[in-house]
Amino acid sequence: MPAPKPTFRSTLLRVLTMQVVALLLLWLLQQRYAG
Amino acid sequence: MHWINWVIVGVYLVFVVSDGLRRARGATNIEAYFLANRSLPWWAVGLSVMATQLSAVTLIGTTGQGATDGLRFVQFYFGLPIAMVILGVTLVPFLHGAKVFTAYEFLEKRFDARTRSLTSLLFLISRGMSCGVIISAPAVVLSAIFGWDLTWCVVLIGGPTVLYTVLGGVQAVTWADVKQMVVIVGALVAIVVVLVMRMPVPLDDAFAIAGAAGRMRVFDFSFSLSDQYTFWSGIIGGTFLMLSYFGTDQSQVQRYLTAKSVDEARSSLLMSAYWKIPLQALILIVGVLVFLFYQFERAPLLYNPAHDRAVRAAEPTEYAALEVRYDAALASRAVAARDLVAARQGDVGGSAEGAAREAYRTSEAGVTAIRTEALSSAARVTGASSRDVNFVMPRFVLDHLPLGFAGLFLAAVLAAAMSSIAAELNSLSTATVVDFYQRRIRREASDAHYLSVSKWATALWGLFAMAVATYAATLGSLIEVVNRFGSFFYGSILGVFLLAMIPRARATGAFWGLIAGMTAVGLVNWRYPSVAFLWHNVIGAVVVVTAGMLVGYARRDA
Repeated sequence: MPAPKPTFRSTLLRVLTMQVVALLLLWLLQQRYAG
Repeated sequence: MHWINWVIVGVYLVFVVSDGLRRARGATNIEAYFLANRSLPWWAVGLSVMATQLSAVTLIGTTGQGATDGLRFVQFYFGLPIAMVILGVTLVPFLHGAKVFTAYEFLEKRFDARTRSLTSLLFLISRGMSCGVIISAPAVVLSAIFGWDLTWCVVLIGGPTVLYTVLGGVQAVTWADVKQMVVIVGALVAIVVVLVMRMPVPLDDAFAIAGAAGRMRVFDFSFSLSDQYTFWSGIIGGTFLMLSYFGTDQSQVQRYLTAKSVDEARSSLLMSAYWKIPLQALILIVGVLVFLFYQFERAPLLYNPAHDRAVRAAEPTEYAALEVRYDAALASRAVAARDLVAARQGDVGGSAEGAAREAYRTSEAGVTAIRTEALSSAARVTGASSRDVNFVMPRFVLDHLPLGFAGLFLAAVLAAAMSSIAAELNSLSTATVVDFYQRRIRREASDAHYLSVSKWATALWGLFAMAVATYAATLGSLIEVVNRFGSFFYGSILGVFLLAMIPRARATGAFWGLIAGMTAVGLVNWRYPSVAFLWHNVIGAVVVVTAGMLVGYARRDA
């Protein structure tokens, strides 16, 4: 059975999750080193 | 540069061109030549989208920016993932489903021929010139570093690119982009590994030095319309800029029109949504690592060797005195950096670390002040802006990396330049042939005729871009005018495409909305009022949609 197509909402959720993770990592980097 | 490095560059060039020529077989009509018969897999298209956006300016300018300004430029890309998701559900299905060759062709289907011609013409003018700038930037760096004539550097970059783009069409462009992305990322990762291995202090302490120098500050949450890079301009202005670039610029639209299906086109854009911010952060971190490397090795006073020679010849006594002061400041900064590391290792976060951090900042300010003096000397002697930031990375690579790495980096710079140039030439030719020649000059002709015209158009745009690149230095003010002109309509064209998706919008509204949007951006561009450029696209798009709808309603009432 073919996998169901991802909806806009699920795609948005996945991309935004990835972006939040990336921003969080950059934020932690700044917090640790930028003082 | 060692001959082994040149062999690596030569192997790269021969490989890319011969692979492009191999792709030349099979294209018998313009659908194959411009769109690969809409048959390419999403991952190849996705890499091509990323390679097109990543030019040599990114590889040498952005790494230099990381070294001199730190990580905050990454905020510029914060809107990109959001833009990609929006495009995936709006313009991509419209454009891919309409079976068009150009984004502007879709505007004729939705509105009228004059809106199509105007937007396509604006694209041709701005991209034609910007393609010249994309060749010129790395050519100027190569010319200054190796002492070669600028024309030969332009030919070295532009010649092979024009050759494989003319003969192989979009197939050659896309598959070369895939390999070029591998070369670029491979070179960046290799350089990071070498830099980390050569760092004389633990990486954690090294980043603390970068932090003390202000290089680890990523976020600026201040809300100012005149500040160039802030979190808000990145998220809001960046989203509109990326919507404009990926949604309405033929050099990007054509990439995903080659995908097998709408879903594959969407997936290709999502690749950038996932990987662009990490890739851009990596590029900036390379710059930060180079800055850290120069804490413990002598950094050049002027990274641009041509300007270094010019100032040394014109003001030998003053420059020698400046170098003596610079060497003393570097030595003092190296001591302060090591003191900061020692303080951290003995007393993390304590008062000793705070004092060492302050002492380091003072010594870093001393180095920066002397560099500023040298840069103003260079500007005075040469009469040209130094653009020293573009030479930080090439100088580091040539002076300090192990044998073979300079060749790999130069191949990556050529790959980054060629991937952007090839996509732009390919799209310039498509817009010329499909939006003007086929639409207005010769509506009926054989496939062979259109194919031949397309190849000639690609070649002529290539020669035009190379001519612009060669004379870019003398065309300085003209190019600035064109760049400003380009920013007038980028957001405005996005506004027209947004109008196209509103069922009530009409052709007259789209045309006059476009004029109104460009006028509004023109006003803010000339500082009435002063607004940072990332906001220009927001203003353009909003004015076009508002004015377009108002004109549409007024005409209907009339």
